[in-house]
Parts: sequence; structure tokens; C-alpha cells
Amino acid sequence: MGVYSATTVQGVVLDQETKTPIAKGTVTLGNAGISVRTNARGEYTFPSVEVGEEELIIEADGYVSDIEVVNIDAEPITLNVVLRPDVSYQAKEELLVNLSEVDLNDDEGKTQSQSSNMSASQDVFNSISSFAWSTVRYRARGYEQTYEQNYIGGLSFNAMERGTFNFSAMGGLNDASRYKEIVNSMESNNFTFGGIGASTNYLMNAQRYAKGWKVNLGGTNRNYKIKASATYATGPLKNGWAFAAQVGWRFSPYIDNKGIIGEGIAYNSIGAFFTAEKNWGSDKRLTLIALASSANRGQSAAVTQEVYDLVGSINYNPYWGYQDGKVRNSRVVKSIDPTVIGTFEWKVNDQHALRFGLGIHYNFYSNSALTFYNAPDPRPDYYRNLPSALWDGQINSDGKFIKTDMNGKNLGKPFVGWDGQKVGPSIDEKKYNELVQLWKDRDDQTTQIDWDALYGANYMGNKLNPEGSAKYILERRHNDIGEVALNVFYTYDSKKHLKVTVGLDGKYGIGVHYKTVDDLLGGKQWIDVDAFSERDIKELATNIGLTQDDVKKVKQNNIFNPNQKVGEDDKFGYRYNIDMAKVTLWAQNDWSYNFLDFYYALGITYSEMTRSTSMINGRAWYLAQLNPKRADIYLGPDYKSILNAAKNGSGSPKTWFKGYDYNFVDPAFKLGLTYKINGRNRIKVNALAATQAPLARDAYIAPRVHDRVIAGMYKHNNANSLKDYYAADQKIVSADLTYEFNFPIVRGRITGFYTQFWNGTELNGYYDDEARTYVNQSITGIDRRHFGGEVALSVKCGTYITITGATSVGDYRYISNADAITSAENGMALATNSLTGKPIFELKDKVLMNGLHVSTGPQVNASIKVSFFHPKMWFADVTLSYFDWNYLDFAPSRRMQGLYTDIRSDKSNVNGSYEDIGAVLKDDKTGEPICDKYGTPKLKHPYNKLSDQESLVADRVWDRFVIDASVGKLIYFKNGQSLSVNLNLSNLSNNTHLKTGGYQQARLPRQTKQGVSEKDGNSVISPNVWKFPSKYYYAWGTNFYLSLTYKF
Amino acid sequence: MKKYIYILFVITCFFACKANDPDIDDLVITSEKQIAKIIEADKGRLYTLNEFQDQFMTEEGNWLSDEHQYRTRAKYTKNGRTYYLFSIDTLPTAGKGIYIRGRVTTDDYGGNFYKSLCIQQIVNGQQQSLRISVDAGSISGMYPLGQEILIRCNGLAIGRYANQPQLCVPSYNNNQLATNATQKVGWAPGRISLPAFKRAVTYIGTPDKSKLQYDEMNITEYTNLLTVGGEERKLDGNLVRIKNVHYTGQYSNNGSPANCSTGDPETDVNSNVFAPTTTNIGYPQGRIVVDANGNKTIVSNSEYAKFARFYLPPSNYTGDIEGILGFYVDNGTSAAKYGLAWDDWSITIRNLDDLHLTDTQGNPWPRIEYSNK
Repeated sequence: MGVYSATTVQGVVLDQETKTPIAKGTVTLGNAGISVRTNARGEYTFPSVEVGEEELIIEADGYVSDIEVVNIDAEPITLNVVLRPDVSYQAKEELLVNLSEVDLNDDEGKTQSQSSNMSASQDVFNSISSFAWSTVRYRARGYEQTYEQNYIGGLSFNAMERGTFNFSAMGGLNDASRYKEIVNSMESNNFTFGGIGASTNYLMNAQRYAKGWKVNLGGTNRNYKIKASATYATGPLKNGWAFAAQVGWRFSPYIDNKGIIGEGIAYNSIGAFFTAEKNWGSDKRLTLIALASSANRGQSAAVTQEVYDLVGSINYNPYWGYQDGKVRNSRVVKSIDPTVIGTFEWKVNDQHALRFGLGIHYNFYSNSALTFYNAPDPRPDYYRNLPSALWDGQINSDGKFIKTDMNGKNLGKPFVGWDGQKVGPSIDEKKYNELVQLWKDRDDQTTQIDWDALYGANYMGNKLNPEGSAKYILERRHNDIGEVALNVFYTYDSKKHLKVTVGLDGKYGIGVHYKTVDDLLGGKQWIDVDAFSERDIKELATNIGLTQDDVKKVKQNNIFNPNQKVGEDDKFGYRYNIDMAKVTLWAQNDWSYNFLDFYYALGITYSEMTRSTSMINGRAWYLAQLNPKRADIYLGPDYKSILNAAKNGSGSPKTWFKGYDYNFVDPAFKLGLTYKINGRNRIKVNALAATQAPLARDAYIAPRVHDRVIAGMYKHNNANSLKDYYAADQKIVSADLTYEFNFPIVRGRITGFYTQFWNGTELNGYYDDEARTYVNQSITGIDRRHFGGEVALSVKCGTYITITGATSVGDYRYISNADAITSAENGMALATNSLTGKPIFELKDKVLMNGLHVSTGPQVNASIKVSFFHPKMWFADVTLSYFDWNYLDFAPSRRMQGLYTDIRSDKSNVNGSYEDIGAVLKDDKTGEPICDKYGTPKLKHPYNKLSDQESLVADRVWDRFVIDASVGKLIYFKNGQSLSVNLNLSNLSNNTHLKTGGYQQARLPRQTKQGVSEKDGNSVISPNVWKFPSKYYYAWGTNFYLSLTYKF
Repeated sequence: MKKYIYILFVITCFFACKANDPDIDDLVITSEKQIAKIIEADKGRLYTLNEFQDQFMTEEGNWLSDEHQYRTRAKYTKNGRTYYLFSIDTLPTAGKGIYIRGRVTTDDYGGNFYKSLCIQQIVNGQQQSLRISVDAGSISGMYPLGQEILIRCNGLAIGRYANQPQLCVPSYNNNQLATNATQKVGWAPGRISLPAFKRAVTYIGTPDKSKLQYDEMNITEYTNLLTVGGEERKLDGNLVRIKNVHYTGQYSNNGSPANCSTGDPETDVNSNVFAPTTTNIGYPQGRIVVDANGNKTIVSNSEYAKFARFYLPPSNYTGDIEGILGFYVDNGTSAAKYGLAWDDWSITIRNLDDLHLTDTQGNPWPRIEYSNK
């Protein structure tokens, strides 16, 4: 006592199986409260440790944590630790990849919910949130997927156009993607600047992979049924090389039909991975990585509750039908995704290190869909085909069925519908029941795609007019992504307190967009014109005082190749590329002291984007006629030559026209601090501020048609002030505060976070029933804030059992109203100026979204998990989870200010508003609208159904719970071989009330007042508010994943 | 080796899942024998279109049961007999199959027909016809002009809307803002849902326009039949060719010809185009044609037709007009008061190709669109 003495504790942390070093592991001295991270060679060092008994806690992502008690005397200690891979964790990861991949198909904007969180890690909170909460598509802190950064070998692989990472690029390659470093939120990051969401860097160098073979076989009842993979690695060879490779195959040998998970979904995905690594001594390393995957998989759609209930299954999928007795899905994703990466690391000396990386990635991605021309809508769940279509015209303004006729005579008695609700009396019971029965019986022709009828229509069309367009075809929408990423990375380690990291990331990307004919479905050819513009051509002509003949180009998808006849595999519809480039320079200083660590980092990003097209669309040409002074905003800088060529018929269908360049400079700054109170307790603070250029996906209002961008980008390109320069950018400020504790029995953390976004952008497109045409809508100036808390706790109960709990409670909502600009895709006038009588082509209005919730999954998530581990390598766990505060994505078109007040923010009048029909609740005395606390007027029943944001949470409390379980066993054989068996059961209680997402339909139900002119407002909002109800996705019922892994 | 064969087998099976294109012969019936077989299997009977109407369509409609008889309907009394302009007779769902067949005579691509079809059947050289209401836009895409179809009518209804017989389902018309709403609101023939219609229909062969038969008529052959409840119900829906007529640039102003104006068709309901705006009321616009003897008839056009804003052909262009003959009376009160008139009849053309008009030199009528520039 009393004699102060200190010594050094150092060692290496190794993987138990591969005996390779574990980088980015955390080693903590429990009593002293100091932790260090292992370097790339798995080494850790505590330069000065007090003598006495110490507890060494060793943790690393994907490994079971270890605690070693050591007696420290005056002598330096070398303590090497081996960590056992967490087998159950690995099996679960496979499930996550599957979930994330399924949800990546949102090439139609809002058709799919976001993917689950992929940043699983050993952190107590993250390990629960990643797995147990993936069922309901939990997003950490409510951030969209674009805020989660993914890197391979230090190179950014989030696609530039959409901002998201394509998990199917690693489809089935769970071994290849096993080793990764994850940085939560804004914390100090040593492979990138980072952002508000997690950053994950997949480490794929060959030495990490265990020498020998690993064969894995999995079976599941999800979208695919069987997974098989084989991995081989050489381990480090004497000549300094190491190689590893994996091939994986996931497929469905059959397609499930009616009522089963994966209904109508074919699945076939093959992945291959190869990596080579060469080490020259311990200071130079070359890594080569090649990844490729190919996928061919069917999709499913969200449908209305009426449809789910009628067919009696949450697995119903309207995308498929029988053809030739076989299941055929109309939406099939095809993807071939090769990636090549090379990195060279050079440790100049103990203090300075450099890394160079180059990656090339090309994703051939396409998705099929039915399209039709002058023929009935082929979708089985089209609203006119449902029993509720009979409601039209039969509902009163009180939301109830009409009961009396015009003379006040009683219409009779209602009858009880299939769902127990009273129907009628003005509905024909027999007609209603016949339709109900077709759905309940799941009649093939009614509830699925009637392929035979589509072929039939085409055969008949061929006979009638062999030169005519097919009525129905299957088109393939291509969205290829090509990217080249390159980075230079420098670190300086002072070996005392300071570490400096400087990175330069460059990236070039191209998004290639076009359509091809996938299948003519028996038709002879498809004629490439737009049916919508053809139908509206009379009004399009009248609006600009011309004849239909004068504006007939408007229906052409390529004015320089009119009425093009296309056959299978021919390109048609649209063809455009988005070229993007981005350079980020960032630097970070990390300071480390015994009781305090802190860092700060600065990044600056230059980015640019340009759209170019080789198909000048007739609608773009038409809009240029409408606005001759601003023809360039639709046709780009070459507008004069385009218009001239259109006039004299000299245009070539193959010329590419480049749009305007948009470039941005965005700064970002972050800092953080960790105060180590003692060995058991610490406090962390992080903060970040950044501006963000809009993603190309959000920048172009209708990129298939024209060059037009969101309003802020014009301001930006003609900026005279800093405010204008950042008019299109989103601004983000975020901070979090964490208290962490780590006792032998109990460990955990409590975090509070606050993030605010300003000036976000969202694009929508929908059929507008007032204008009777398809409209595009850009919404800018979206402000929101996300705040909440996360708590995680892990309690060791004896040798075998650990109880962990985690919860995340947040409030993610919009904090202001946003600005919307709505325009018809074909250039139709959407309203008339009541003073001048002139047509209005672009409607400007406010979206009353202040106070609405951001719909990125449940905002209350809580789980408690009991894990069992027996040293004879048995493990099992059961997790009980609860989800709440989950909100449906609302349709801005139903929240327009003009609908409530009769006048848009651009002062134009609204025909057929909530105000018109007296649906706005008003104070009896003052006559003023009654507003909610955010200032949005409230609506009377039933119209509030149109405007209010819906909750996705099940009515009954017990329907908000989910139980998951897993059990596994790892068997080591004497010859060093091993077999692991793992069974995961998700949603054990088969809870079929868990809505995971969906959307409110943008289409507003309307009816026409006969005898009233359009100018006098003949379009009124229909009291049949159930006409275009919301569509939902549900979490799967009970499902399993059985995995067998044999290593030899 | 065995192993490789097995792997190959699995892969082959996987890719063999691709479905073959259906054969046209599996989608259509082609012989009378097949038709007979279908009907026989159903213990059914094939009715001609006239037999079908005679057998099942009553004057009052069987829908006029106790629970539905409250309704006020347009009716017309003549010689002490009441004729109902709106009626519904439901057909039994169970029991013997009730079959009709006919060839589609309409095409909605021109926009002059909407959610409706007409079929014709030639019986002993004579045309019989029936209108069909289906709740699907662009229905001609599936049932094109010249396509013959067999329809099992069980569970559907036959009724009259404004005196026009049609295959339909009962539907409550709640359009209280319609013209003469008091006479129209109530149960009326409504549109058959597409799923129900698809189930009821079988294609007979492939479309053949050349088999369509036109009743070549002089105007007086039908305008003289100014009765309700008589021959006009049979003629309604027939495909006709009216010989040797020309446009007069007039519309019917409650039975009196009035000259069309030269106004803007967007604002002037009497502009001299086929169908100027009706300010979205949606009624068809009639334009007068006359034959050599000055007999008048109406050619009816929808303002939603693609050709609605084309100028009417000048009167020096003469020739034949083809289309669907209609007798539309939706107002019993005024019919009783003023008597039925020649302009209750109309021809609905499918598109401008139905106008075979030439000047004295044989030059075809030049189609000119309205333009305000």
C-alpha cells in the first residue's frame, strides 16, 4: 500500500479459429477504466497500468466477449487473448442480408419500405436492434438508409444516385462480408469522415479467413428456400500471399402459391467472391478483391387491407398469375453485380502509414413490369375490381351509406357484408356477394394476373391490325449503376496522444436508365408512344391554341424517332444517364489521454451531376412550346438545336444531349469527447454539422421525361448569396450524449440524441383525379427533427445465462410545412387563373406537414432477451420485443394548404377542396377553422380519414409483441474439424398484425358534379373516402432459418 | 459422373419453370361444335339476342319487387299503357345456362364509346343487337371490333337505361345533380365488373371486321318509328349505314334545327365542331345530318372523343355514315308532354373513319381541327 507502481500490459487479440489478428477490438481495464482499440495486427498496449488485480475485458464485433482477471506486478505483462466467433450471431447475419436485399427494389419511389438496419455489432444495443427489430424494419434513430454509409476495403460503395448500398452485391456471400468495422453514428471514425448514421467498412483481406474449407447449407421458408455456400481459404502462405474464395447459391426450387410466405416469388441468386493478399514484411500489403453476384428474383406488392382481408392472408401478392399452369411473376428483378477492388497499404514507419484504394463496380439492374395501351388495367387489385368499388356514389357526407332516395323514401335495409359491416341498402347484395366470393375463393382470373387474357387481347389485336401496338407487354426498366471509387488515406500516430487521419475519397458514377421490351406477350410489336398524352392531346392542343396535329409530337417518347416499333429487347420509353462525380477531403485529429479522449474532424465535399439523354421526349418538347423563354429548363442548354431539328425534321434519334451541370460544395464538421470517470463509467458526447447536396434521385423532377430540376437548384446555379448557393442543400445538425457503464455483472449504456434536418427534398408522382392526368410533385423545404433515447443493459446471471434488454424511444417528426410544386407530366394545365382566365401549368402550394411523424419504422422498440450458453457449445436465446409509435407514410397531395383554405399559396383557387364541401371543422362562434397545435385545420369525419396520418400499430396491445428464438450447437471434432447447427425461429407466435410499412395513396377520391362547369368547380371530393385507401406491407408470420456449417 | 448429372438435372428443372406462351386455340373456341358442347355441358340454351330480350326483359322489370318499388322512374304513357324507360330484370344465377352470342360492333379507341360494347348477331340474314355495360375503360382492348363472343348471362341482368336495352347489373344511380335527376335517381342498369364479365365471356374465333353486317337504312326507316316499347328497342344498338347524307352545320334545339356558332368550342356549347364542351356535364352532343329529301337525323358525339374539336364537314360533302343506332329517351315527362321526336334517334360513330363523305368531284372531306390561332 502506498507505493505507487505501474507497468505495461500488452498483447495480441486473435481469432480462435483462424489465429488471425482481430482489428478494432476493444480491450478495457475494468478497474482503471482505460480502454484501447487493437490495431490492424490485433495488438493492444496499456503503457501504464497500476499494480494490483485487474480485469481485462476483450470485445470485438462478431466475437463472444471475454473477461480475464490478471494479477499485475511490476513486470511488464504480455497477455494474448483468443476470441471465439459468435456462431449464433453469424447465422443471424445471413437473415439480415436477406431482409435488406428484399427491400432494395424501390425503383418506383414509395413502393417499398426501407431495409432493416445492417450495422449489427457486438454493442449490446446494436446486437438486439439489428436482429430482433429487423422484423419491423427498425431504422436507427429514424434515419433513412441513405444516412448509413457502407465501405468495402475503405472505399465508399453507397450508390451515388440513390445514396444507398446494394446489399445484393454481396448476395449469399456471408463469409465474404463477415469481417467488418462498424462505427456508430458520429463517433470517431478512422476509415471515413462518417455521418449521422452508422458507417460500416467490410474488411475482405484474405488473411482474415480461416485456412481450410467451410461448407454451409441453409434452409428457410422465406423468399428463397435453400442456401448453399462453400468457402476456401489458404491462410497466410510462406511467400506472403493469402487467398480466399467463396461461392454461394440461394434459390427456391419451387414457387409458393396462395397464402404462403414468398407467394409467387421465384428466387435464384449466385454470388462469388475471391480475394488475394500479399504481404511484404509487416509494412506493405496489397489486397485484391473481386465480388460478383447475379440475382433473379420475383417481387411482391403492398395492397389494401380490404384485399388482405378478402383473401385472408398477409402473404397475398398481386404480381403473379398462372400461365401454362405455372406461376409467373410480372415483377422480376435481374441483377448482375461485379465489383473489383485493389488496396495497397504502406506503413512508412511506426508513425506514418498510407493506403491507396481503387474500386470498380458495375451493376446491371433491371426490374420488369406490365404496361398496357388502350386496354383495361391488368392489375388484379385495381380498385375497380374490388367489392368496395361499388361504394362509389353511395356514401353520404357523414360517411354512411345513403338510406333514402331523393324524395326521402326509405331505400330498405342494409345487409351484412363479408367483413361484418353493414352494407347498403343502395348496393346490390347479389352483385356484391358474387365479387366477394371471387376474391374469397381466390379465383385465379380475378385475384391474380390473368396472363391468358393478356395474351388473348394481343392475339386479337394482331388479327385486327398486324401493324398495331400490342395491348399488353412486359417491360423491363433498367437502372444500371457504374462507379469508380478511389481513395488515398494517410495516418499519423504520434504514439503519445495524437493521431491524425487524412483521407481523400474520389468517386465517379453513372446511372444508366432505359426500358426494354421484356416480353411482347404474343403481340407483334409495341409502338413507343405515351398513352396518357395521346388521350389528353385535345386539351394539350387547346391549351396553347394549336391543333392536335400541331402538337402530335407530345405523345412521342422520342420525337426524333416517332411511332417507333419495338420488339423484344429493343430499347424504348426513355433513355437517360446521370453522370455524377464527388470528391471528399477530410481530416481528423484524435487526442487520447488517460481520462479524456477527444476528436474533431473537418470534411469538404465537392459533387456534381448532369443528366443527358438520347431520347427527346415529346412532353419535354411540348413544355418547351409552353414556355418558349425557358425552353432550356426542359431541354437543357441545347434547346435551340433540338427545337430547330424538331421543326425541320432533321433530328437524329441517336444524338446524346447533355443537360446542365450542377455542382455543389458541402462542408461538414464534427467533434466528440469521451470522459472516463473511472474504469467502469464513462461519458461520451458527439456532435456534427453538415450540408448535403441533393441526391440525383431527388434532384430531377421527372428525369424520364425532361431535364427539369427542383427549384432550389436553379437558385443555386444562379446564386449571388450564400443562402441561394445552399438553396437546394439539406442542412443537418446532430448531437448525442452517452453514459456507458461496465461492471462484471452488469454493463450497458444510455444515450440521448437530437438531430435536425432542414430543407430536405421528396419527389412524388401520382394520378390526379381533378386534372385527370399523371402529375409530378416536388416537395422541398422539408424540415424535421429526430430526438430520443436508447438504453441497453446486459446482466450476467450465473455462468450460463445472460439477460439483455434494449429500448429505443424516439420522436421523429416534421417541424414545418413544406413547399410543393405540382405539374402534369404531359404538360396539361392543372388549373385556371380565376382573374386572367389563363391556364396554370405549375401549382405552387404548401404541404401542411408540420407535426406529422417521419415514417421510418417504429419509434418505440423494446426487447428483452434471455441467452443461454453452455461451455459444451450449446447456445440458445429467446427474445420478446414490443413495437409502437409506427406511422404510415402520408400522401402530401392530401395535405395541401389549398385543400383546406380553397386558395393555394400561389393564390390560385382550388376546385373541389375540403373547404368547398364544408369538411373543415369550424368554430361555431368565430367561423374560423379549428386547428391542431401545429396550425393545420382539422377535418370532419369521414374526411379526416383523407388527411390524417395513420398509425401502423395494431389495435390490440398483444399484437404489438414478437417472440424470436434461436438454438444452436457447435461440435468440435478431434481432427480440428467442426460442425455448427443453428436454428432461428422468427415471430414464434405467428403475429400477423405487424404492419411494417406502406403508404397512403396520393390519389384523392373525387366525384364530378354534373351540370356544373369545370371553372365553377365541378370536381368535388367524394365522401367515399375509402375509394383509394392506404396500402400496407406486413411482417412475415412464423419463419425459420436452419443453418449447418461444416469446417474442414 | 452421377453427381454431375444430378446437378445438371436440378439446374435444368429450375430453368424449366419458364412458362410457355399460351396457344391461341386454348384461348378461343373455333367451331360450332365446341359452342354446342359448352352449352350442353351446362344444360343451357343459346338464345338469339332478340329471343333473349323477349324472354327476359319485361316492361316493369323483375327488380321492381317490394323492396325496390319506392323508386320514381321515368315512364311514358301512351294509349293507356305505361312504358318504363328504365328497367332491370335479373337473371338467375343457378340453374340452366343462359347463353347469347354476338360480334362486337364498337370500338372505344376514338373515345366516343366509354365502358360499353355493342354486339350484333345475324339471324336469318337479319341483324339483332345488344348493348353491354362493363366497368372497364378501354374495354375494346380486350373485346375488339369484329370479335365474336359467347356470353353466359346467368347472374347478370337485362335492363333498359333511357329505353336502351343492355346487358348489365343492378346499380343504384345516385347522381342527384343529373339533368332530370328526379326521374333517373334510383335503381338502374349499371356496369358489370370486369372480373365478372371476363368469367362470363368466351372468345369465338378471332376478330373479323369483314363479318360485320350493316343495316343500310334511310333516315325515315327508323325516325318514323316514334314509339316506345316497340320496334325501336330492337333497332337500338344496331350497326347501321345511313345512305347519302350530309352535315347541315346544325344542332337540335329541343327538336328544332339551329345553326351552330363559330365560337370557341372550349366555352361555346354550340360551336360548329363535333362536340364542344358541355361544361363537363358530359352529355353527348348531337349534330344534324340530312338526306337528299331533307330528312333529319342526329349524329351523336362525346366531348371526350378524340375528334370532338374537329370542324363539322361542310354541307357539300355527301355520303354514307356508319355507326350505332340509338333511341335514347330519359325523360318520360317531356316525352308525354311534347311527344317523341325525330331527335330522340341518333347515330353514334366510332371514329371519323365512319364518315364516308366526298364532294361532287369525289374528294374526301378534309379533316380540319379547331384552332384559336
